[in-house]
Amino acid sequence: MSTRTADAVIVGAGVLGASVASHLARSGHRVLVLERGAPGREGSGTTAGNLHMQAVHTKRPGQAVPLDSARFLPLQRAASDRWETLEEELETSVEVRRTGGFTIAETEEQYQELRDKHGWEAAAGIHTEILDGDAARAALPLLGPTVAAATWCDLDGYANPLKVTPAYLDSATRHGGRTVAFAPVRRITRNGDGWRVVAGRGAAERVVDTPVVVDVAGPWLGEIAAMAGITLRMTPVAIQMHATVRSSATMSHLVQHIGEGLSVKQVTAGNLLIGGGWPALSMDLAGRSDASLDSLVGNVALAVRVLPFIRDLRLLRMWAGPLAATPDEMPVIGEVPGAPGFYVAGGTYAFTFAPLWGETLRCLIEGKPPPVDVSDLGPGRLMEQWSQEDNGPEQENHQDRRSKRC
Amino acid sequence: MTAEHSAATYGEVVERDVVIVGGGPAGLSAAARLASAGLAVTILDEQPELGGQYYRRPAPAVARQWGDHRPEGGRLIAQVRAAGAECRTGHLVWGVEDDGRTLLASDDAEHPVRLRARYLVLATGAFERVFPFPGWQLPGVTTPGFAQHLAASDHTTVGDRVVLAGSGPFLLPVACSLIELGVSVAGIAEAGRPYRPSLRALGTLGHPARLRELASYAARLARARVPIWQETVVLRADGRDRVSSVTLAAAARPARPVRTVEVDALCVGYGFRPQTDLARMLGCQVRVDVASGDAVPVTGAAGRASRADVYVVGEAAGIGGVHAAKARGLAAAHDILTREGRSAVPVSEARRMMSARRRLARFTALTDSLYPGPAALLATLAPALPADTVVCRCEAVRAEEIRTTAAGSADGDLNATKAWTRAGMGPCQGRECGFAVAGLVRSVMPGRGVGDGESRVEIFPSRLPVRPVPLATLLELAGPESQKGDA
Ligand SMILES: Cc1cc2nc3c(=O)[nH]c(=O)nc-3n(C[C@H](O)[C@H](O)[C@H](O)COP(=O)(O)OP(=O)(O)OC[C@H]3O[C@@H](n4cnc5c(N)ncnc54)[C@H](O)[C@@H]3O)c2cc1C
Ligand SMILES: Cc1cc2nc3c(=O)[nH]c(=O)nc-3n(C[C@H](O)[C@H](O)[C@H](O)COP(=O)(O)OP(=O)(O)OC[C@H]3O[C@@H](n4cnc5c(N)ncnc54)[C@H](O)[C@@H]3O)c2cc1C
Repeated sequence: MSTRTADAVIVGAGVLGASVASHLARSGHRVLVLERGAPGREGSGTTAGNLHMQAVHTKRPGQAVPLDSARFLPLQRAASDRWETLEEELETSVEVRRTGGFTIAETEEQYQELRDKHGWEAAAGIHTEILDGDAARAALPLLGPTVAAATWCDLDGYANPLKVTPAYLDSATRHGGRTVAFAPVRRITRNGDGWRVVAGRGAAERVVDTPVVVDVAGPWLGEIAAMAGITLRMTPVAIQMHATVRSSATMSHLVQHIGEGLSVKQVTAGNLLIGGGWPALSMDLAGRSDASLDSLVGNVALAVRVLPFIRDLRLLRMWAGPLAATPDEMPVIGEVPGAPGFYVAGGTYAFTFAPLWGETLRCLIEGKPPPVDVSDLGPGRLMEQWSQEDNGPEQENHQDRRSKRC
Repeated sequence: MTAEHSAATYGEVVERDVVIVGGGPAGLSAAARLASAGLAVTILDEQPELGGQYYRRPAPAVARQWGDHRPEGGRLIAQVRAAGAECRTGHLVWGVEDDGRTLLASDDAEHPVRLRARYLVLATGAFERVFPFPGWQLPGVTTPGFAQHLAASDHTTVGDRVVLAGSGPFLLPVACSLIELGVSVAGIAEAGRPYRPSLRALGTLGHPARLRELASYAARLARARVPIWQETVVLRADGRDRVSSVTLAAAARPARPVRTVEVDALCVGYGFRPQTDLARMLGCQVRVDVASGDAVPVTGAAGRASRADVYVVGEAAGIGGVHAAKARGLAAAHDILTREGRSAVPVSEARRMMSARRRLARFTALTDSLYPGPAALLATLAPALPADTVVCRCEAVRAEEIRTTAAGSADGDLNATKAWTRAGMGPCQGRECGFAVAGLVRSVMPGRGVGDGESRVEIFPSRLPVRPVPLATLLELAGPESQKGDA
């Protein structure tokens, strides 16, 4: 197999890989996206697809620390603007819907959290409104009697994840980029000032020399970095989603819960998607993770309490997907210190951030100032040595089979 | 309500020695044997009556007027009941709990039922293999199985003048049932060339009872002067409010019309596909059968799956007909009894059963070889399917969209094609269109065979629930507290 060259090799065709490929290709770079399986089938194909603009405050199972909302919100604000223009940029519909969303509280304590959150949002220039229970029900009569208060944010929304990644890849292709599916990257070595990337096996093996590698392999981000001798500490987890049959009732807003794992919305096809970070039964990074019945039942009970009309629907299907978290829950994006030309991007809520991170990576790679300051979000902080009792980057499954939300 | 809601499932668990899912010939044969040996057996079926497809019970009024078309089915059911097996009809088994062994069912009022057993016997049968064509959504277009079902349980017909099309031996008995009810069967279009040089040749193969049975259907059809058009496929169906004609084409040139027949009903089916959702949900290994493109559970001789406590029997383990289904059900029962130290089967009977199973397997292989394999059918049908034909009815996805996506960004991956087109994402979860979608995906990726490559599994994954379940059923599983919450 002869050696080829590219201006940038992107490892992973999830939403981040697709976005950065499109941004680089549109800017004239010859990009090659290498994907282990079919594109967009992991986190980016299993995601809830929410565009989170008001503070995300709930904790996933196994999440050790809360998100630093004060730092996170300005990034969300910047991400929000980019979704406004995305369909124009991609020259196709990806079902972006900015119809706003509620975050509800059921207890006094949760009500207080809404007020705190409201303060950070105001500081970040994200307009939210606090409503008491009755005002919330007046605005969305589908809300149930236990809802004590809610914040409303008209920037919240949804985009169809099954369209976003393909649309980004198509855009990259139109601008001269290439995506090769079923080409797992196996080796990354230093090659002069750049990198040599080897993917696939046997007759399908490809060798590519490139000055720039972008590691956007989601839950496998650490695995890919390790090929280049870089140790990054990430924590992959698998969570699950539930879809009902199509409903004739319509609910155009996103509904989330401040204290428990809940997000509900109706998608364009009419189905309701119920999620909120409930743990999958197992995480299988080699195949498909299994969804948990306990999580289903818990998530549905919560959803019906908050939105009683859902009770009359049927569950159509459920699925699980993996995502990569960082130990501090903040996104990771930037060039790896000591490994010039090796960039990474990942972390939670990468769907919401995909347009922003694609543009940011392009700027970093081109040596231009990025649209937001990400100097504190670089991979350096994930590279410190960890203690012995910690399992380190070896992507240990933190979820016990029967673990509950915590 | 606390923020830390616990989600453990709630409710009593039915604990049995053996739970059998599916009350067709296979499940009933296993149940009769196991219950009469004294094991605590529960058999569940989502239908209101036991019997499955072959022994489907006629409606009471029909039975009074016309009798039971398959009295041996009635006897087998009576035997199962008399042996003390608990029969739960109207129970759909739709999932498996997180422990990987407790089955979740819902009863006829859609309340949840949880069951656990030392042995699980999955006898969930098969569903019909369909392939779309222009006009397949017209009223009056159905499947041979549906026509048979109407004939057997309701003694009614799908129409007065009918063409049967598709492939496989099943078209013959369905045609005979229709003729018995006075239907004019205008012809049978068979995609392959099994009846060569003519139908009568079947009889001269000198094979066991089943082949004679097939030959006798053939003889009856010959007497009724029903033409059999071999190597013929459906090109399209036409009609305004209902199908009024069907246009046929030669299989070798599936886009060129050769004959148009006036009908008021058209039944098209290409045999059956094993129903393996539960086996897959239980983590039983499946393999993709190269000839059919179907998922079949990996089983040992007695139907034992890759999980030692699970048996897969009957059509769910691979299509083989009713006799094979019964033999497989019995074999599983004997294996369980042997493991329980209760085997009362004399060696000679066990040998007889074994050789009967072998004969049946040979018979299945023989009949299979007469008809084109599903993978071969797909190679004929998929490329010829017109671009604007709706393939997935639930989500209204057309052939062209599937081809373009499969050839483009999905890169020949069935599940990526599904995700990006929505084909197979509706209420039937791809049971109806799965075969056709797989065929279309394969047809745009020349040179790539069934099951090639690790990630390109040619089947949709099995996901809970087997069929859509009410959220109210799930709430009951969440316990009384969540029931209260929204009162
Ligand atoms: C159930 C669920 C719900 C979620 N809900 C939301 C939400 O509502 N809003 C939100 O903003 N975020 C949400 N997220 C998170 C978000 O969807 C993900 O963080 C995001 O999609 C990840 O995109 P990615 O491109 O970084 O990674 P992925 O989509 O996981 O892509 C990584 C890709 O790398 C590939 N790869 C792996 N190894 C190799 C290799 N050796 N060679 C080549 N390629 C390789 C993988 O096959 C994969 O395609 C959710 C996630 C899940 C799982
Ligand atoms: C529509 C149709 C009509 C047929 N008619 C004939 C015919 O006339 N002659 C012939 O020789 N062969 C016929 N066959 C082939 C026939 O399936 C077999 O020969 C024979 O019935 C197989 O027996 P079985 O026990 O394996 O499965 P089946 O007889 O199919 O029985 C399976 C049973 O399992 C039940 N079941 C499946 N999934 C679940 C679940 N999740 N929960 C609860 N219950 C479940 C079903 O309701 C069904 O009663 C027909 C097949 C079909 C699909």
